[in-house]
Amino acid sequence: MIKEKINLYLIQYAINAILRQKSKNFFILTIFILLTFLLTSIFFISNSIKYELNSTVEALPQITVQKIKAGKSYDIDTSVVDDILTITGVTDAVARVWGYYYFENVGVNFTIVGLDTYENQYKKSFENIVKKFDLNELSENSSMIVGQGVFESFKKGYYLQNYFNFIKPDGSIKKLTIAGTFNSDIQLESNDVIIMSKENIREIFDINEDKTTDIVVKVANPEEIDTIAQKIKLIYPDTRVVTSEDFKVSYQNIFNYKSGIFLTIFIISLFTFFIIIYDKSSGLSSEEKREIGILKAIGWTVDDVLKEKFYESFIISFLAYMIGIISAFAFVYLFQAPLLREVFVGYSELKTTFELPFVFDFQTLFLVFFLSVPIYIAATIIPSWRTATLETDEVIR
Amino acid sequence: MNKKTTYLFYTIISLLTLFFIQIIYLQNNKSMTKEMKEAKIEFVQLVQLPDLAISTEATYVRHRSLADIFSIYKDDGNLREYFPTTFTYSHSQGYK
Repeated sequence: MIKEKINLYLIQYAINAILRQKSKNFFILTIFILLTFLLTSIFFISNSIKYELNSTVEALPQITVQKIKAGKSYDIDTSVVDDILTITGVTDAVARVWGYYYFENVGVNFTIVGLDTYENQYKKSFENIVKKFDLNELSENSSMIVGQGVFESFKKGYYLQNYFNFIKPDGSIKKLTIAGTFNSDIQLESNDVIIMSKENIREIFDINEDKTTDIVVKVANPEEIDTIAQKIKLIYPDTRVVTSEDFKVSYQNIFNYKSGIFLTIFIISLFTFFIIIYDKSSGLSSEEKREIGILKAIGWTVDDVLKEKFYESFIISFLAYMIGIISAFAFVYLFQAPLLREVFVGYSELKTTFELPFVFDFQTLFLVFFLSVPIYIAATIIPSWRTATLETDEVIR
Repeated sequence: MNKKTTYLFYTIISLLTLFFIQIIYLQNNKSMTKEMKEAKIEFVQLVQLPDLAISTEATYVRHRSLADIFSIYKDDGNLREYFPTTFTYSHSQGYK
């Protein structure tokens, strides 16, 4: 059945035709593999990151209130919490204390987050996300839980013991012991995070009790988030109110921007590639033209010539596509995308392992397929068709 | 079918097999498990901060989506006047 539809002799002829021009076709194949590999890798990385971000976006605060002064974020009054709580629909408002601590020896920024003392409510969470967990040590209060990256930076900065000295704004030292590190499963989220009690973080950053970094608001009905955000903005015009919807938009922006850069580069290289192909095939070499002419002279129809050309270009482009995507899968998910990941990670010293979750994305595979295979086939067939429709003696002459 | 055609078919079939084996392997070993997802959600609920630790970008600082609207200090990690620097899109509807 298949044999009737696919002319095996034509395929044999196509293979021989490819092999006759080994070096040229090998070059096209290599470039083609590189292109599909590069594009799919980038899509895979940005898709996985997006998936990772989106899987936790629902857990983010519904509304975050920051004070903006002279275009910068400032500490907001803790008393604002009470005013926000009076707004109908608000179930909870929590004053957060968090910030960045610059560790000069290694040149990295840590994100320090303050919690309302270590209470039992966190016990269960900690059990799931912290390894080397020791509740007794935590309750001593002068301890912290650190991310894997933070722990390694401590070591790099010669803190080989189980503690770290934070330098307070007045130059004195606050010593905190390490009670545990976060699981490696959540490294993409927790790598640079340090969790400690609010008292400690206030001491390290010198933030008074009446000030707080920002306020997170919980709303009972998600439909009301926008209305409540507007109300807060009305009561406190000097604030920036970020809703969970904004987070989603921002996430989208971050990775559209990143993969957008690559898409631009890719489009440029793709066009260059097509120009090369077009140039190669529109000016079919006289040898190739003669070949088509002879084939027609010995009785091939235009249909046969086009079929043969189709097989020829399909073999090259399909092989290139398959090899490209297989190596992209291995490159991104097995080898963690060396070199390419730098583009997404930025040049921070606090590197994560870049263990991305695997997402099987049909869309990307189809997109890359339709961007490469049919276009290559078209670029090969069209010029051949032009030659094949000419009078035979005209072509040979 | 001559030798070359057979080789070609074998190549295509082995590539396709490799592709499917790879997909199955990655699906089983590298995708996000339910436990992992729960742990991640639990962590984010605890910390209540957005963004991944990888998007530290030029300013070495995370949490772009909570960062300043603009900042002049975003070019050097050694700059101290630091708090939430980095560039972000003016995405907040509340800020309009």
